[in-house]
Amino acid sequence: MAKLSARQRQDLIEELPRLKRFCLSLTSDPSDAEDLLQITVERLLEKGMPEDAHVAKWSHRVCRNLWIDEIRSRDVRSRYAQAEGAMEGVGTTSSNTDESVQLDRVSAAMERLPPDQRAALVQVAVEGCSYAEAAALLDVPIGTIMSRVARARKALAEDLEWSVEREA
Amino acid sequence: MTDDRHNVVDMAGTRVDDDHLLSMYIDNELDAERTIALVERLRAEPALGARLSAMEGNDEAVRKLYAQVDQDVPEHLSSFLQADNVVVVSFARRWQTWASATAAASCAAVIALVMDLNQPADFNPMTMDAQLAGSLETSHSSATGWESLGDDRQFRSVLTFPAADGRWCREYLLAQEGSHWRGVACRDEGQWVNQVVGSEVFLEQETQYRPAGVDESEKVARFIDETATDVALGPQQEAALISSGW
Repeated sequence: MAKLSARQRQDLIEELPRLKRFCLSLTSDPSDAEDLLQITVERLLEKGMPEDAHVAKWSHRVCRNLWIDEIRSRDVRSRYAQAEGAMEGVGTTSSNTDESVQLDRVSAAMERLPPDQRAALVQVAVEGCSYAEAAALLDVPIGTIMSRVARARKALAEDLEWSVEREA
Repeated sequence: MTDDRHNVVDMAGTRVDDDHLLSMYIDNELDAERTIALVERLRAEPALGARLSAMEGNDEAVRKLYAQVDQDVPEHLSSFLQADNVVVVSFARRWQTWASATAAASCAAVIALVMDLNQPADFNPMTMDAQLAGSLETSHSSATGWESLGDDRQFRSVLTFPAADGRWCREYLLAQEGSHWRGVACRDEGQWVNQVVGSEVFLEQETQYRPAGVDESEKVARFIDETATDVALGPQQEAALISSGW
């Protein structure tokens, strides 16, 4: 396969912030997200992509496949036990404001989502993709995106409602 | 048998409930007819409206969460993508194979980006001379720091490992006037002999990395993979070996 062209490199540079958010949506852990971004870029540099490839779609696909390979090879239980502690710190401040408490809850609830649902929700609710755009990026049917996003929102709503009731 | 629940509809062959409808409504993906029907229900059913508000509120919190996470992309990634003739040295296999603290420290401290190994050098800094041999004989491996060879070259031993043929080998780095090389030398009957060398550019980072494999510049990594018979020595083992004169 051809190495990356100059245009593809530039497109990829512009895609990096969004790709990093995608890494975080997959891994739910900032350190893992950085590692995943690193190896994704290196894999793309090494293997290249077809001249007519859509850079965003191709890079997201490579990223997702690398993450699938990674979670298959590691001890998921021990890593996710560590990731719970890491993710609870993500997006929060040291002050005990209502907002920071709420973000803590949302952060923990996001981590409990299945990765496919979390990734779909981030593409639609955070990145602003349409269902068609998210489906193309994640290489799944539109109906699957609809379902995953809805299930993610349903799970978050029930999880957070339950956590609020428990604290009341 | 039909489903009498009014909140379950067929949509493109999928049965969806109120949460699906609300989700699609939030994303503006609901068709006009169903949007009108849902809006009427939202006016008439407070619980449904509350559910919508909860979902929208959670969406907003997720956006805040992702906005607060550091979105800055590490600068070296943009550099990798902008540079020409870039190949990536694979340390992934070495990270898996070399479980010693010494190897772990060296891998964690350095990201190696190999720039065009085929560029000819005006002179070969990897020629085995007395200074280089002397440092290979006595220096302890480290993840940081450089040792002067007495001229304008800087040296750092990276790790020591046993070769399958019984020789002791050392991976090391050499720096001179902004250029860097990575090599492996093995001790053969008391004499250090270079086995493989490659030119490199180093970006020292604190985060770990896992590069993928590469076509051209993996000769150093490949040599180690093919030659090593065991993991790299730990600091104490290496110190003892050096003290004993190998």
